[in-house]
Amino acid sequence: MSDTTSPPVSLRVAVCAVMSVLALVMLAPVQAAVPPPKLQYQITTLPNGLRVILSEDHSTPIVHVSVWYHVGSKNEREGRTGFAHLFEHMMFKGSKNVEPEGHISLVAGVGGRSNAYTTEDVTVFWQTLPSQHLPLALWLEADRMATLRVDEAAFQREREVVKEERRLRIESQPYGRLSEIIYDTAFVTHPYKHPTIGSMADLEAASIADVRDFHRTYYVPENTTVTIVGDFDSAEALQLVTQYLGRVPKATRPVPREIPREPQMMEERRAVVEEAWPLPAVVVAFHIPYDGHPDSYPLHITSKILSDGQSARLIRELVYTRRLCLSAFGAGNLIEDPNLFYAVCIVQPGQSPEAAEAALIDEFEKLKDEGVTLQEVERAQNQFARDYILSRGSNEDKAMHLAHAAVIHSDVTTADGEFDIFMSTTAVDVQRVARSYFNESNRVVLHVLPRGARP
Amino acid sequence: MTRLRSGIGPTSWILCLAVCASVAGAQTVDWPSERPPRPLEARRATFPPYEVRTLANGLQVIAVLHHEQPAVNMRMLVRAGSVQDLQGKAGVATLAAALLDQGTTSKSAEQIADQIDFIGGALGTGSGSDLSFVEVVVMKDSFNVGMDMLADIVRRPAFAPEEIERQKEQATSSLQVNREDPAYVAGAVIDRLVYGLHPYGLPSTGTPETLAAITQADLQAYHARNFVPNNMILGIVGDVSGDEAFAAAERVFGGWPAAELTPLRIVDSPPPTRRIVIIDNPDAVQTGIRVGQLGIPRNSPDYLAFDLAVKILGGEGANRLQRVLRSERGLTYGASADLAARKRAGDFVAETDTRTETTGEALRLMVDEFSTLRRERVSQRELSDAQAYLAGTFPLTIETPNDIATQVLNVVFYELPIEEIGTFSERVQQVTPGDIQRVAQRYVLPDRLSIVLVGNAAAFVPQLRRVGFSEFEIIPIDELDLMSATLRRPVLQGGSTDAPVDGPLLARQ
Repeated sequence: MSDTTSPPVSLRVAVCAVMSVLALVMLAPVQAAVPPPKLQYQITTLPNGLRVILSEDHSTPIVHVSVWYHVGSKNEREGRTGFAHLFEHMMFKGSKNVEPEGHISLVAGVGGRSNAYTTEDVTVFWQTLPSQHLPLALWLEADRMATLRVDEAAFQREREVVKEERRLRIESQPYGRLSEIIYDTAFVTHPYKHPTIGSMADLEAASIADVRDFHRTYYVPENTTVTIVGDFDSAEALQLVTQYLGRVPKATRPVPREIPREPQMMEERRAVVEEAWPLPAVVVAFHIPYDGHPDSYPLHITSKILSDGQSARLIRELVYTRRLCLSAFGAGNLIEDPNLFYAVCIVQPGQSPEAAEAALIDEFEKLKDEGVTLQEVERAQNQFARDYILSRGSNEDKAMHLAHAAVIHSDVTTADGEFDIFMSTTAVDVQRVARSYFNESNRVVLHVLPRGARP
Repeated sequence: MTRLRSGIGPTSWILCLAVCASVAGAQTVDWPSERPPRPLEARRATFPPYEVRTLANGLQVIAVLHHEQPAVNMRMLVRAGSVQDLQGKAGVATLAAALLDQGTTSKSAEQIADQIDFIGGALGTGSGSDLSFVEVVVMKDSFNVGMDMLADIVRRPAFAPEEIERQKEQATSSLQVNREDPAYVAGAVIDRLVYGLHPYGLPSTGTPETLAAITQADLQAYHARNFVPNNMILGIVGDVSGDEAFAAAERVFGGWPAAELTPLRIVDSPPPTRRIVIIDNPDAVQTGIRVGQLGIPRNSPDYLAFDLAVKILGGEGANRLQRVLRSERGLTYGASADLAARKRAGDFVAETDTRTETTGEALRLMVDEFSTLRRERVSQRELSDAQAYLAGTFPLTIETPNDIATQVLNVVFYELPIEEIGTFSERVQQVTPGDIQRVAQRYVLPDRLSIVLVGNAAAFVPQLRRVGFSEFEIIPIDELDLMSATLRRPVLQGGSTDAPVDGPLLARQ
């Protein structure tokens, strides 16, 4: 997984000779006109296995502390979907020296903010606070990592809170269930099949024994990366981390890492479902590799060519020119395990889902048959450079990039190292990966129709 | 409004003492019992430098220089928004803003998109009730290109007929989607109840009928009247020098003549009256609840004290509603209250979403918290906690150049004394429990609250009666008309209302 700094060896696959020569001549040494600054950091592993990344920035007297546990909804077992996120909520229910809800109120009491989120791959707890309160943040995080309070009544209440969260974000929103439907259709065995929020039935089935077991299994130092960015002295910060988080005992057993693999699709999968949504949604999806795979970089560039900005292909063609879709996008969901590249069209009144499907598939076929222009690649690279620069503005942003590189890529240097890979991606690479993945036997087509509209 | 992913506020964990035997420290036996550690030595946070100048034509220009990342952000604020919408044509300001980057007198929509995307920039336009904006972000080597684009878009939009049609279609389809979003519906209806037919009460997005009525001439007239340099504020933020910033502003906007502004005549909001409106959606699994009242404009001398009072009710760093509804009872994912102190008036609205079965209970608890806020003097401790958060959080609000610029633009936009920026923490600390009680008694009128419930009426109406709410109007969601005094539209004759593709909203056009 740490091979992501080597450039994708794609230029050999010269399918269209003229194009590839042009690409070599014009694009090989592309540099962004304005090179972004590099992140400055140090990384250390404590004796108990906890990883620490420190990055000083003295421009404002604040500090951001994030704690990434390498566990997310893809680590959930059958019948317990939603548990990683429910557990995240339980981390606010107190520990040996902290009252229930005390974490957030102690941080707020010094003018800080704190919260947490759960994804398919990780669970992240964070706080941003005036920099003199760094010891408080580390002490609080250590206390709940080592001594979480596990209380039946609080667990029951919090489960109701999470069920409300599911109703609010997923069930009551137009298109709120769309990604749930896509992943349920596209995946068979890998847990990406399930949404991070989980199902109501599985939330109901979770028990307090599950809470204890999950904490003991995954909330251990060797599964944890602490990132501190802001106004502090690194030597002092490292001493504080050692003092508070260094005393959390080592795990007694290794963190389980085996996750069922998704079998390769052998033929196209199609589904038509109904939901109480006002306009139909059409989805065309393909299985793709993981974040950091050499093909992931051209796929990211492809996402930009298809849907970043008003001049991107899907927006220009399907939304602006043909007025077929109210909105459209197509992008690779590049995360830790192989995932999907999918395009969605919310179909305008008076247009048909069939026309939308044909248009989306046609865009993928064009990527394979005609490739992309050099100008499109350059545009996508400029947009990538923009994202790169604008997404490193705050301490929280920087911590996110550093922790993501360390946890998901197992290589903190990718936080900066991927810039050059993107800048040397070519039109040939884009066409090659399109031909590798955007094929009928690897395709999932989904029509979500308003209730009562199924033929 | 920031949504919290996880809980805030203390809870009564006393409740669980009965099962405390099972409250196992999950793994570490010899962990010390101890108090939170002392802080390190504090470093004082001071507001970073910025510069404000006014060009000869009245355009106010604010420069915030910041050189860490090689990017520049340009934001043009126009002191015009949906309050300027013409009678029966709600949506003019929103539509005009959406059309600004869809073609100018010299460039097509496609050419503008091609240009900004190719240089790796970003371009956005939008509007609210009192302001419209254009925002351009470019890398520093494209600063002048970005300024030229900004000026072209702001000064010379084409409002081409085919682009107007395209944006109307987008807006109308979006409204059709919005009607299925309980948060949109609840928000739009509470605004109507609080502000009546004052422009703050009308939907800035328009309705299918008002959008259809808007003409090219309406858009051109709105632009000509309001988009003049003496009605605008420009923020230039990022990796340029002050000289470069002001010279560029002068170059692209300096030759634009000032124009006289026509004063706006708008109707007053009605006095607060108890009114409960239920928007009935039988498919709903959750009820969106909004409880609110007319408040104060941003330039009111009571702003800071009342803002603290509303934060105690339901804001970050305090939040009684979150404690009562979420932490203690698990009724909701989030509960909050927000003071929207705007240019010409203001409101405060509490909101939550709860499952259908607990709708009555949640509403009762919310209304009771309004009563408590008015009736009971807040303790010094509760106020101090809220003050500690608000004052202490100051350094977090000046982290990025955009954070800094937003604060300066706010002060200039609301015409507040510019010194207020540097004295925020001190002014927060001066508020007393007596101040909170005074403003709560003056502005919080619990027996005259506006209340909106969006959900499955048949399932929760009996609950409302049980908790003491007996008078309410029920409006089926398909009959909701935000422009009508009664909030209802006449039922359509003969038209199918469940046709999936040509929905009822479009069929009426």
